[in-house]
Amino acid sequence: MMKKIFVACGSGVATSQTVASKIGNMCEDEGLNVSVEAVDIKSLESIIDQCDIYVSIVSTGANNWNIPTISGIPFLTGMGMEEEFEKLKQFIAQ
Amino acid sequence: MEAILNYILGLGAAIFLPVIMIALGLAMKMKVKRAIIAGLTLGIAFTGMNVVLGFMFDAISPAATALVQRTGLQLTAIDVGWSPMAAIAWAWPYALVLFPLQIIINLIMLGLRWTNCLNVDLWNVWGKIFIASMVTALTGSLLLGFFAAAVQIVLELINADLTQKQLQHITKIPGVTCTHPMALQCAFLGLLNRGLDFIPGVNKVNMNAAQMKEKLGIFGENSVMGFLVGALIAFMGGYEVKKILVTAMQVSTALVLFPMVAKLFMQALAPIADATSTFMKSKFKGRDFYVGLDWPFLAGQSEIWVTAIVLVPIELILALVMSQMGMNNVIPLASIINVVVAVPALIITGGNLFRMIIISTIATPVYLAVATSFAPMITEMAATTGTLQVNAGQFITWIQLEAPEFRWSIAHALNGEIGGIAALAAFAGAFVWYYKHMQKINAELDNK
Repeated sequence: MMKKIFVACGSGVATSQTVASKIGNMCEDEGLNVSVEAVDIKSLESIIDQCDIYVSIVSTGANNWNIPTISGIPFLTGMGMEEEFEKLKQFIAQ
Repeated sequence: MEAILNYILGLGAAIFLPVIMIALGLAMKMKVKRAIIAGLTLGIAFTGMNVVLGFMFDAISPAATALVQRTGLQLTAIDVGWSPMAAIAWAWPYALVLFPLQIIINLIMLGLRWTNCLNVDLWNVWGKIFIASMVTALTGSLLLGFFAAAVQIVLELINADLTQKQLQHITKIPGVTCTHPMALQCAFLGLLNRGLDFIPGVNKVNMNAAQMKEKLGIFGENSVMGFLVGALIAFMGGYEVKKILVTAMQVSTALVLFPMVAKLFMQALAPIADATSTFMKSKFKGRDFYVGLDWPFLAGQSEIWVTAIVLVPIELILALVMSQMGMNNVIPLASIINVVVAVPALIITGGNLFRMIIISTIATPVYLAVATSFAPMITEMAATTGTLQVNAGQFITWIQLEAPEFRWSIAHALNGEIGGIAALAAFAGAFVWYYKHMQKINAELDNK
């Protein structure tokens, strides 16, 4: 089944879409069948159940969702991105 | 040559920018399929934004006109929020020049060690396009427009250095800082915050942001706020119940669709932005730097949302009071959840909610006054770029102008106005004070 990935930011437009596009392309290049969506963090509570993996760009303390979560910051800074992508791939394989 | 250029520009941003985008993408060795889709997506973003903006304006403008006629309040400008404003800015013919300008200034400043920040936020280049286009419109000089943008770029980088430690302290995220222009308001808000130190008892107020966010969170949703404010405007325009509900639903629809359409801009720009930031990072391998990001890595702080929501009724009351005094023509609507003031307030107070609300309230009239002052130029630019044509006597504007005191001052100073020059001098003075203040704060954070 296709895994659904959500990335959230303040408006669901800029930062989240940057990360979503990046992850989407990386997954496409690896032949992974996923859907990556940028969403508004203000609406997250009501839609979080619809996703399988959450990519957070805020500090870890602010996340208390009960689903597999990775950090989106490395996809913006480029530092530690490979490690975080490996984590994501493991979640996708599960 | 000029005729060809004019013909191409005359096709409108929705045609010529996708063409440039595809050419750029292919030049950067993007896959043909991805390049074409990115280009088309950009054209769709422009066209889609025009559709939604036109739809919202058709829904709200009769109600706003009725409100003006019925109440006699001079509320002739409608706040359409940042997403249509970004579309208008991108459609400015010289918009693309701002990309190399930001990148080159950043690389030079890093090379000379005038900053430790590498700004990879290419989305908010539009904020530089915005000030360049406004200054150009006001002064008639393209060069002054680019100069104003350059000043903003330099200040953003300096400010990113100044705030990095505080941001890490707040978010616990290392290695990043915020280059968004909204943070330039830290200077002004910092002075207000310092003023609060002299009022006894302020620090004794404790408010739990997380708890309040749970209760107030529903008002942060675009759908809810659009419905409520749409209904309020229609109600004040003397509409009957059915028409109030229909108007409210239409405004709510537009406010929910705006970010969905704006997302298309980012989808189109992402591959090029990504390649550019990879290139920039590769230039400084081995050199320690902070990566400058857009503000949302702070969006997990509940204080921001609580402050912005508490400000909503205050903004509406101030808009009415100031319009009576002839200082405001704007109906707050699409950017009524003002995170642009809440974020610098968070940075400067370190997350003291009570202080954030007080200083944001004091700063709110500045947003309204500057939005009023910029409304004719924004309306004119929306018309010339083919984004939206409104009736004579009506205006569109944007309340969350991001550091409005800076933008107003530099625009009017460069236009040679005494008031503008005085205001810019005051801003510069505040910034110098703030620079020293942050050095003290940073030293304290180092000792922790």
